[in-house]
Amino acid sequence: MELDLRIKKMRPFKKVGNTLHVLSFPGEDIEKGEYLLIEDKKPGKAMIAQIIDVQFANVPGVMEELLRSPDTDDSAQGEDADPMDIMSHILYIQDARLLVCKIYGTVFDGKIDPENNWLPSRTQSSIHKLQTSALLKLANISKGLRIDLGTTHDMTPLSIDACEMDGRLNIITGKKGTGKSHLSKLLALGLVQHGATVVVLDINGEYTNLGLTEDGTKNEHHEKIHVLSPGQNFKVTLYQTNLYVVMRILTYALSLPGTSAREFRHIWRALEESGTVTLLELGGAINRWKCNQHVRDALYSRYYSLVHSGFFTDNMAEAMDLEALLKKSESNGGGVIVINLSDTSPADRQMVVEFVLAKLQEVLSERKIRAVFLFAEEAHLYLRETYWDDAVTRMRHFGLFTTFVTNQPNTINENIYRQADNIFLLNFVNEHDLEIVSRAARVDAETATSIVRDLPPHHCLVLGNVVKDFPIVVKVKPMNVQTMGQTRYFFKQKEEAG
Amino acid sequence: MLVIEQLQYATTPRYNFPQTEHDTELHKRLLEASLRTMHTIKEKTFQPFDTELLENMVQKPQTSTSPDLEGRTLSTLLTPLKPIHDGTPVVGIDVSGIKIGETETGILCAVRGAVVWNLNRRYRHLRIGPFPFHITEENKRELFSNLNGGFSPETNYRPSPLSETIGRLCSLVERWIQASISYSANESIILWDGSLTAGFPGSALSDVSHLLRTARSQHNSVLAFSKVTSIRFLGWRITDLVAKREGPCLFEVEDLPLSITKNSNLLGRMYVAKLAVNGSAFRLDIDRALMREDGMKSVQKLLGNELMYQGYPESLRLAHIYSTFTANDVIGIQSFLTREYGLRIMPRYSMRKALFGPYGTGFED
Repeated sequence: MELDLRIKKMRPFKKVGNTLHVLSFPGEDIEKGEYLLIEDKKPGKAMIAQIIDVQFANVPGVMEELLRSPDTDDSAQGEDADPMDIMSHILYIQDARLLVCKIYGTVFDGKIDPENNWLPSRTQSSIHKLQTSALLKLANISKGLRIDLGTTHDMTPLSIDACEMDGRLNIITGKKGTGKSHLSKLLALGLVQHGATVVVLDINGEYTNLGLTEDGTKNEHHEKIHVLSPGQNFKVTLYQTNLYVVMRILTYALSLPGTSAREFRHIWRALEESGTVTLLELGGAINRWKCNQHVRDALYSRYYSLVHSGFFTDNMAEAMDLEALLKKSESNGGGVIVINLSDTSPADRQMVVEFVLAKLQEVLSERKIRAVFLFAEEAHLYLRETYWDDAVTRMRHFGLFTTFVTNQPNTINENIYRQADNIFLLNFVNEHDLEIVSRAARVDAETATSIVRDLPPHHCLVLGNVVKDFPIVVKVKPMNVQTMGQTRYFFKQKEEAG
Repeated sequence: MLVIEQLQYATTPRYNFPQTEHDTELHKRLLEASLRTMHTIKEKTFQPFDTELLENMVQKPQTSTSPDLEGRTLSTLLTPLKPIHDGTPVVGIDVSGIKIGETETGILCAVRGAVVWNLNRRYRHLRIGPFPFHITEENKRELFSNLNGGFSPETNYRPSPLSETIGRLCSLVERWIQASISYSANESIILWDGSLTAGFPGSALSDVSHLLRTARSQHNSVLAFSKVTSIRFLGWRITDLVAKREGPCLFEVEDLPLSITKNSNLLGRMYVAKLAVNGSAFRLDIDRALMREDGMKSVQKLLGNELMYQGYPESLRLAHIYSTFTANDVIGIQSFLTREYGLRIMPRYSMRKALFGPYGTGFED
């Protein structure tokens, strides 16, 4: 039965802490993630709350009503002679819904105040949907150096301010196939558009074609994309690599014990003095060095790891100067340096990453470049344990701003969630994963678990500074970039071949 | 609109229930009566009835005294029953009323009736209503006089408190539906809720007699089941007399010295019926004008053609379920009243809570 003019207005029902329950009736087009404005004219305030769940209202007697009502498709069993059409009211009440909302602040004199310690009147306040465009305006989102993310549920374009990613720690996470890499590419290119230098630790070689359109032609970013494949176009000499960097590789990537590390330091200094810091001379020096045989064996095994990685060379002509590339990228108005780790063994991968990170730290600490945005895909596969704390504490002071991208939220250190400034959550259904992401300080646990669970692919819940702490669901826009991160299917290929 | 199987129902000049499952005359009359009372309440305030009370209303368990009457001659009054499977239709009728709230001048209530047909164990129902009524001291006489339209006017009309008027209203609506079914059903067993006792407000002796006569003229048998009875024999509640007897059986209590005065208002022959092996026993009134054997046969037909739920006929059970108001119904009706008549809801003032605080338990008067 239609109840065209009978739609009851939404009413505040209960408030506990920052949770507001709103009673809503059929006919209201309400979705999770939308914002409501609860206006109370008497105090001249309005509460901003986001719907995080839509439930059936606990109407007394509904159970009895449902038990005795015939199946909806079995109308032959009975009929109502109800000339006053009261049953439609009864059914209308049965379909009443309870909107569980989180309060995000109060609008007073056209400005948002984070306070939520007042109660709007149950009877006098009016509730209506807050359009995203109005929220963006109120909260000053989508201003500054804009990176277009996509559109919200009400088709409002959502842009974030690149400045809000500057000096911040970010996380992009979601289950497989939800569009994490797509979003991370969008953000990386968005930062580059504003002149930033982005370094991507690309575990699957997904970013290597960022400079190409879907049809394989060069896109507008092509000149700014530099793909470095270790052992191929990314080799370095020991001469370029100072002791600090080599020691980090040996200690963190190759697990050289302390005693051996001390001997290695002596050997390196001796080579430096003689001006012969090459792979060849290093091998000879270890062989000749007077030390314990166990130490020598330990140094030899690491030396061969360096040699066999193919990452180090004595040929200056084939060596690549990362520092120079970083400087060039910055002076040319930004660029993406993709470290393609897809064809690198796990041990070599760690060596390369240690080299890159040490080099970045070196050039940043010496202020040779201003800052670097680091995108680390599945970082647990190549980052040492201590890096997590470095990312939170030290790195940002040097100007290295990390964005972690993963489909396994448990692989990211808990501190990272606590300290993250911006979080881009794509769909998760696994309770354990949801529980982990909900630990983030920037996210209300209930909001994360409730909204993220129902996100369709390529929809993202954006949290943190970039949205001024107003969680917003956005459908991430498509990009005209050749996609490499898609899963390669066996049967799909067969079909296409057929 | 659905058309129910017609075979058992003859066309009559006034009623054709349930040829189209709607008796427009009946609806119209109830609607008119309802609207006549409701037009006085526009823009008024009302105190809604607390639906929580409805949720908490639990029927009290009956005490299960089981008198040992073994060896007494009472067993001679016991008749074992054999089901007769002959496809006789069974029709159950019930009406419920509920108080919705109070206004400055009266009470708001709603009434709903339900009819359930069992044709070869296929059950169909018709719910009539709900119809809201605003009953005041001023309009109640007119209301009952209107509803009495088809029946004989109450010669001994006596004013009753407003709180009792809901029961009286229910009785009147029930009589209307019973009349409708008595006219339209043919060769059926008609089940009433309650007894075949007349002579109280809303149930005039002449009207009930007329209803039974009409039913008989259509070859119907009227059986009335009482869920609870307080009638006793030698101190024992009559339904407890057959507690240890094996069902299905009928126990005639008609000639026993009972705790009630027998007079001409008892239009039924009184039995205790235990219609299922392990079921409960109920007071059963069978139209006194039927031959004793015919009445007995009707019960056996009921046994053969009807499902029994703990010894209670399913059609009557469903009619009760369909007519009963749930808390959700009450909220829906309150919502209808506020919207259609602009009634403003006032919080119900609880004298008990005001006086006793958390110790103010029990229902408000």
